[in-house]
Amino acid sequence: MTTYLMILMALVAVLGAGIALLSKNAFNKLIGVAVIASGTIPFIAIAGYLDVAVAVALLLPLTTIMILKITVGDDV
Amino acid sequence: MILTFYLGLVLLVLGVVGVAFPADKTPLTRLINLEVPAFGLLLIMLAYNEMLALLTFIATTTITTFVLVRVIQRRNAV
Repeated sequence: MTTYLMILMALVAVLGAGIALLSKNAFNKLIGVAVIASGTIPFIAIAGYLDVAVAVALLLPLTTIMILKITVGDDV
Repeated sequence: MILTFYLGLVLLVLGVVGVAFPADKTPLTRLINLEVPAFGLLLIMLAYNEMLALLTFIATTTITTFVLVRVIQRRNAV
């Protein structure tokens, strides 16, 4: 059961990497990074490091907000 | 365990190629692409059960992103 879930989450992470690396728009790239995080955090939780999972889930949106500050000016 | 390690390797290699040869060579694109190999390295550290390294690496990546955002802002303003 856990193995199937891990394979599924690995697919989610790889798809997110494809979105983040291949799309041209900066907003689409940020959404791809969020998809990578959603595929990665279950791996941390399965390994038992719930505190690290909490740290990742709290610090990643901060990074996204900081990048959004410079994204607003130059496209769309 | 094995799956974690190989997923980390795939993300690391894809992300490094994406940072080195981006589609459009703006600093913003490279900065966002830099998040992908960070997750790959995080998964490789997770495969070796290095919890302290994980926490330190996450905090350092966030602070580095803050600094790089400031640098890109300063560069665009001038």
